[in-house]
Amino acid sequence: MRFRIHRYDPESGAAPSLRDYELDFDPKGRKVLDALIAIKDTLDESLAFRRSCREGVCGSDGVNVNGRNVLACVTPLEGLKEPIVIRPLPRLGVVRDLIVDMAQFYQHYRAVKPYLINLDPEPESERPQSPEERAELDGLWECILCGCCTTSCPSFWWNPDRFLGPAALLQGYRFIADTRDQATDERLDFLEDPYRLFRCHGIMNCVEVCPKGLNPTAAIGKIKSLLVKRAL
Amino acid sequence: MRRVGGARRGLDMWLVQRASALYMLLFLPVFLARAWLAGPLDYLVWRGLFEPVAVKVAVLLFVAALLAHAWIGLREILIDYLHALVPRLALYFLFATLYLGCLAWSVDILWGVRP
Repeated sequence: MRFRIHRYDPESGAAPSLRDYELDFDPKGRKVLDALIAIKDTLDESLAFRRSCREGVCGSDGVNVNGRNVLACVTPLEGLKEPIVIRPLPRLGVVRDLIVDMAQFYQHYRAVKPYLINLDPEPESERPQSPEERAELDGLWECILCGCCTTSCPSFWWNPDRFLGPAALLQGYRFIADTRDQATDERLDFLEDPYRLFRCHGIMNCVEVCPKGLNPTAAIGKIKSLLVKRAL
Repeated sequence: MRRVGGARRGLDMWLVQRASALYMLLFLPVFLARAWLAGPLDYLVWRGLFEPVAVKVAVLLFVAALLAHAWIGLREILIDYLHALVPRLALYFLFATLYLGCLAWSVDILWGVRP
């Protein structure tokens, strides 16, 4: 199988480039991450990439394969056009080869305060929710913060420092939608500016690439509805 | 210094964009149907369409909605792609002048139509 992989080593002083690899590999039933590991084991041990759980749960191996942001560990090799071009996630700084600097991404994630804010005295056991209230959180809590959606969003490309991006907005809505949270108003205040939320033009690249099948655009739409309801 | 966004501006613009789109969506079919029903369109029939004051007001509102919609779209484009302050401000000024001029001109055209 033929691969073309983005290489960059800041210590060498060389410009980033794409390097070709020819790997004797049976793609049947195997994933892109299997090939990356095989290349590192047999062809080029200097190749650097992140991976951990290798089953689509940890979200650490987001890469751009043939122009599409995916998790390498759950993307089948079969059906990919050769040479398979593997690049780091777009728009983030490259630390090395396929490893990107996620600092900006996490900064936006922190900015939406991704935790329950509840000033009531802590109860003896738990803060109960009805099954319906809990169901509101489905499609929101599953996000693994891999960054595939945010780095496929042109609004994030143009304003990466000010637009929060689909992942952070989905997480923001996860706590807005939570009946146990008491900071809804503050959360909405934070999002009501021209950049943080309203750079989203609803092109749905995020929905298209999300490896967990989530829908950040719908979450953003619900936040907009809440903002409208609150304003009128 | 930390960069901060102007609060409460995003929602207003977003709502105006939706509202103006809705008005254009309602106005256009009604106006076109009316023009179609008025029979074969020659200059006098076309001109006659704009004689009632209600039509003048409705068309002026349509022009205003169109310009507001275009203004917000333009603003989105500039926010997305043009980050330098001076050219962005210059283009805002240029297009604000242009659009307001169009609005004033439309008033002149519409109220220039007399029986």
